[in-house]
Order: sequence, then C-alpha cells, then structure tokens
Amino acid sequence: MSSVFVRLHGAFIAVSIAALFSAAPASAQQTPPLPPDAGVPESSEAGADAGTPEEVPPGLTPEEMAEIEKAFGGNTQQGVPASTSSAPDSTPGGGLPLSIPGGTSGTNFLDMSFILDLAAAAFTSKEPLQGGAHDPTRNGFNLQQLELSIGSVVDPYFRFDANIVYSQFGVEIEEAYGTTLALPGSLQVRAGQFLTRFGRLNATHPHAWDFVDQPFAMSRVFGAEGNRGLGVEVSWLTPLPWYVELTGSLTDATGEATARSFLGASNDRVLSPLDLQATGVLKQFFALSDDLSLMWGLSAATGPNPTGYRNRTDVFGTDVYLRYRPITEASNTLVTLQVEALYRRRQVPDDVLTDINTYAQLAWRFSQRWAAAARYELGTPAKGEGGEVALDPLDPEWTKNRDRLSANLTFWPTEFSRLRVQAARDRARWRDEADYSVFLALELVTGAHGAHAF
Amino acid sequence: MRHFRFVAALCAALCLFAAAPARAAVNVVTTLPDLAAITKAVGGDLVQVQSMALGSQDPHRVDAKPSLALALRNADLLISVGLDLEIGWLPNLQTGSRNPRIQVGNPGFLNASQFVRLLEIPATKVDRSEGDVHPGGNPHYLYDPRQGAAVARGIAERLAQLDAKNAATYRANAAKLTAELDAARVGWEKRLAGLRGAPIIAFHRTTAYLADWLGFEPIAFLEPKPGIPPNPSHVAGVLVLGRQRKARMVLIESYYNDREAKMLAGMMPAPLVILHGGTDFRAGETYVQHINELVGNLEKGLTGGKGG
Repeated sequence: MSSVFVRLHGAFIAVSIAALFSAAPASAQQTPPLPPDAGVPESSEAGADAGTPEEVPPGLTPEEMAEIEKAFGGNTQQGVPASTSSAPDSTPGGGLPLSIPGGTSGTNFLDMSFILDLAAAAFTSKEPLQGGAHDPTRNGFNLQQLELSIGSVVDPYFRFDANIVYSQFGVEIEEAYGTTLALPGSLQVRAGQFLTRFGRLNATHPHAWDFVDQPFAMSRVFGAEGNRGLGVEVSWLTPLPWYVELTGSLTDATGEATARSFLGASNDRVLSPLDLQATGVLKQFFALSDDLSLMWGLSAATGPNPTGYRNRTDVFGTDVYLRYRPITEASNTLVTLQVEALYRRRQVPDDVLTDINTYAQLAWRFSQRWAAAARYELGTPAKGEGGEVALDPLDPEWTKNRDRLSANLTFWPTEFSRLRVQAARDRARWRDEADYSVFLALELVTGAHGAHAF
Repeated sequence: MRHFRFVAALCAALCLFAAAPARAAVNVVTTLPDLAAITKAVGGDLVQVQSMALGSQDPHRVDAKPSLALALRNADLLISVGLDLEIGWLPNLQTGSRNPRIQVGNPGFLNASQFVRLLEIPATKVDRSEGDVHPGGNPHYLYDPRQGAAVARGIAERLAQLDAKNAATYRANAAKLTAELDAARVGWEKRLAGLRGAPIIAFHRTTAYLADWLGFEPIAFLEPKPGIPPNPSHVAGVLVLGRQRKARMVLIESYYNDREAKMLAGMMPAPLVILHGGTDFRAGETYVQHINELVGNLEKGLTGGKGG
C-alpha cells in the first residue's frame, strides 16, 4: 500500500493540506449551529473566492499560509493515515475528524448486500449455446449467482468496492478495487480487479440487466464473465460543458472467461506493457430534454493473443443508450433503447480474422411494477483478409451467422425483488434447427440499498 | 504546424471552459428544489444554486444522470435531505463527480436532516417487510416551514464556514427568511385552523411533518406499505375507514399517479388535494411561495373545492 502513496506523492501534497483545513470545520459540523455572533474575523486578503480548502482560509495572510505550506513541504505524509494495515476503529466517529452523518446506527463502515439470482430453465437443445457465466445453462433449476456486494469509504482518499460471487461449488472474486476520491484535476483512479468500462453492459452485474442472460457478444468476444482483470484504470472527466469522460485502463490479458480473445487460458509471462490489455473508452452524455437522455460510448481494447509472436487482438465497440422517462409530470413510464456493436480483429498466423457481434434491446416499463423488453442479437463468423469465412480458433463451429431473439416480461414486487419470464429463439445457422428456451428467473436483493448507475 | 495550432486552440478552449465556472459565488448543488430555494434565499447573489431533481420528480426515484455528476464536479457545497431519501441515486454521483470537497464528511457536504426535529424514527428494529421505511426517520420534513427555517439557519452556518467573509450576510438572510416564514405562518395557520384534528387520508407517508405542523390526523395511506402500490383490498379498507372517520380530504403528491386517489376521493366522497412535492425552483418559485401554494391547495380542499 505504501508504494501507492509514493506514486500519488504529488496529489497528496494538495490533499493533505486540504485535509488539514477541512478537518477542523468537519468536527464543528456535528455541533448544533453556532450562535450568530460567533463571527469569524474578516480578512481583506481572503479574496473573492469561496474559500475552497485549497485556498488561503479567511483569517490567514498569504504569508502565514506560505509558512504552513513550507512546513509541510518536507513531509507530505502528514494528514495521511500512517498505515492502512491497522483495523478501522470500531467506535462511531472513533475520534477521527471524519464521521459519517446520516448513518443512523453510527457504524456506517460497510455497506453489504447479497443478491441472489435463480432461474428455472427449459431448452429445446441438448447443448444450449449459453455463453455467459451467469446464464441459465441447463434444464431445471440454475443458480445464476449469489453475489456479495460490499462497498465502503476507506478514508478520505479511497473507497473500496467488491463483488464476490458464490457459485454452487466455489467462490470467486469478481471485482475488488479501490477508487480514489480526492485526486485533483477531475481524475479518478481505480486499482484492483475490475470489469473494464468497455461498452455499456460489460461493467454491469446481473442485477442491472434487462434480461436473464447476457448478450452472446460479451461471452464470445471477452468470455463468460465479461472483460475484467487485475489492473489499474485512470478516468478523466473533461472540463467540457457537457459530460465527456475519458477512461484508460491496463489489465492483465489472461483468463479464459475474462479475456478470451486476448491471451485467454495461456499463461504467458508479461515481459512488457504490450503483454497487457489496454482499454480506452470515451463516454458522452447528452440531456436532450428533461425526459430524454442519450449516452454514447466509443471503446477500444487491444492486447496480445497467443496464436503467435506479437500477434494482437483489437476490439472496437460503440454503444448507444437512449432513455425516455418523463419527470415533469406523474409517470411510471420508462423506455430505454440500448445498442452495442463490437468489431473484433485478430492477427493469427498468415491471416487477420474479423467479425462483428451486436445486440439491440428495447425495454418498456409501463407501470411501477411491470416492464417488457425485447432484444435482437447478431454474430457473424470470423472472416479472413480475403473476406472468406475462416477457421475461428476460439469458436471453430461458428462458421455462419448466429442470431437470437429474446423477449421478456418483468414484475418487481418492490425494488428489492424481481420476477422475470423470458423466451428466446436462438438461430445458430451452423446448427440444423433453431433452439428455443424459456426462463423463469427470480432475483432477491437484501442488505444495503445500492445506488443505481445511469 | 497546423497540428500544433489545432492543439493550441483545443487547449485554449479547454482552459476557457475550465475557467468559465471561476467562482464569484459559492457554487451550491442541492438534491431537491426545496433546498435549492432555501439556499438561494440564504445566499442571495453570493451563491449560485442548482437543484438536481425537479419539483415534479419523485425524490425517491431520480435518475443518476451523468450530467448531474458534471454539476457536482464544480460544486463547493452539496446539500442533501438525508435519511436515505437519496440513497438510490446520490452516492454514485458523488463518487463520479471526482470532487473531494463534496464527499460525505467534508465541509462541502451538508446533510440537512441534522437541523430537523425528526419524526417517525422507528423505535424498534426495522426490516423491509415494512416496505420502504427510512430507518433514520421520515425524510419529508420540508413541508413544515418551521423545519424549513431550521434548515435555512443550518445552511447559513455552513455557508458562513465556507465563505467566512460573507458570514454576516448569510446569517442575516437566514434570520430574514425565518422571520418571513414566521410571519406568513400566522396567516397560514389561521387559514388552516379547520384542519386541526381533522382526519385525512394520504397516498404516501409524506404527511408526518405537515400533520405535526397543522395538527391534522393522517388516518390511513393509500399505499399499503411505503413504496408498495395500492391494491384493491387495501383501498377498500381505506374507503371504509375514511367513511367511518369522515376523512376531510385525500392528499397526494403531484409526482404520484393519482388514479386510485381520485377514485377513492370520488367514492368517499372527499376532496382530492394534489400537493406539489417540491418548489418549482427552475421557474423562480421561492420556498415561501411553495408553502403558500401548498396552504392554498389545502385550504381549497378544506372549503370543499378541489385543490390542485
């Protein structure tokens, strides 16, 4: 952990000074409002600014401020917890300058919730083509997942989030990462094991899905679990007047279920940063009106693949999310259109394989408790440089188009429980006939109320 | 060279955008428009205020639009209602804003519920079988102008802390708003004197503070449990009780679907009073005007006319 602090050296100079000045007022916030005459001495040097913690606080001259800054110049670890290895104080507030208001019990250190996804499924095919690790895959009852979701603020500089998934026969750390809270310049860093921000669906968990299963684009291109890995991510909220977020991450390129188009199951040694998966994402948001919003993303991921020396795989994606929800009058209506397309390019010995995987889904919530949704997916076979269908080393049977049509109906007794019935027709044209499936899925969420992403 | 010029122009543009929010005023973002209106009254021209939700929106269910994170990015102060009212949408936006000033625990974050005399704090351990209960207490306290005044004073103190130079102005403005609310309250209470002790039916459990202030008695709610939509048997039960107790009116917020409430009011019969859940801050409405409108609607209901 200490190496992280060293790396963020510069940031902590600013942060620690900010913390110094914010610490005192923070404790005052717990006390009832001050009497009106508890006046703070006015200062002509205080400037017209709003007294953000970084600036000279009222009542101090710039010289005094400079002296304080000088005193801290040699020791930036001031104000930063000396070590994070000590266990968090278990008493509320714990004498720390920061306590968490709003937490009624006072011990608001860890938000925990369990999410249980169960499904009963029926397939016409003996070997259903369900690629997702959380998809129902066999006739009868399926435990899609039991997810333990944990989130907490670590200290004024980090928050911690983890999603630990229990399957019937094992436990898996799906995500466990820290997020910075106090970097300057609208920057944010995530480090740990995380789902990359590629596209729209990849970074989400089944609780946020409009369908029982995930689109096959995800499992075909990235793997059953979606694209994730151990690594580090930097994102920047640009100062443009509309929402533009730039994200770049480096993650390990191995994992049959998480990076199958890259190194996949092979366990090659990392010799240079080029042996890692690099992902870049540009997200833009447009509030078209009070009721209508548009999110548009462009993503690219590149990394090595194991088919030969310096062979690489590139995946390019775009995602569009259009959301209509009237908020200027009483309404339970919510209509969303989500489209994602992935173009994959793989260097293999003596050829370059390309294919396209895409899906489009429309969801309509027509009352507080009910919604209907439909989805169309298409995946093309890998084609060589000449445009002819080529042998796909990952999915050798995928020699023709596959398309799948799914439709479902969802009932939410409350926002903590969900029942969903879904039917699909899966037409993989290399198979003799179309496969049909029906799912009945139940989701239960218990524990802390998680916040919903847009 | 052309490349360089383009980059230079881009940099200049970026700097311009970055510099644009150069603050002559304290940049305040509030979750709800009532808080925005109160903050504006306290801060005047010294603050620039923006509300994340509209008055017509159900504060429990606001979309965490990324544009809201953008608003939070430049905020010096974020004011929330607290008591888990915004729990479904605010935390992600706070983290996504990348603004350390407004994170929980910093002076730039203010949970306004700390200034309020809270009602309906569950005495026993709660779980969600009771519906969408707020374990910290009922969060709909801004219907009561007395609580609104307390919040105004709290906001003034926090603004004074962040912008000490203008502390006296903030405190004076808060005192002015308090006086204004106190003066108006005399008239409001007189107009609604008939509500004292009156049995009333409401849609959601939003009436605690209003009832505490005006002295009416919420005898039933159309939602069987908070957050659970009405069902026929429950509505029937409410109807029977309403007739038995001679409920004076049916209250519902404008952000709820009023189908069941309308039907119930028609069958009882009792006037249906539609309350605007929040101040129309965007249109320039003040908190005092909002409460005045609310009182007007209740008065209309009381005198038998249809509120709304």
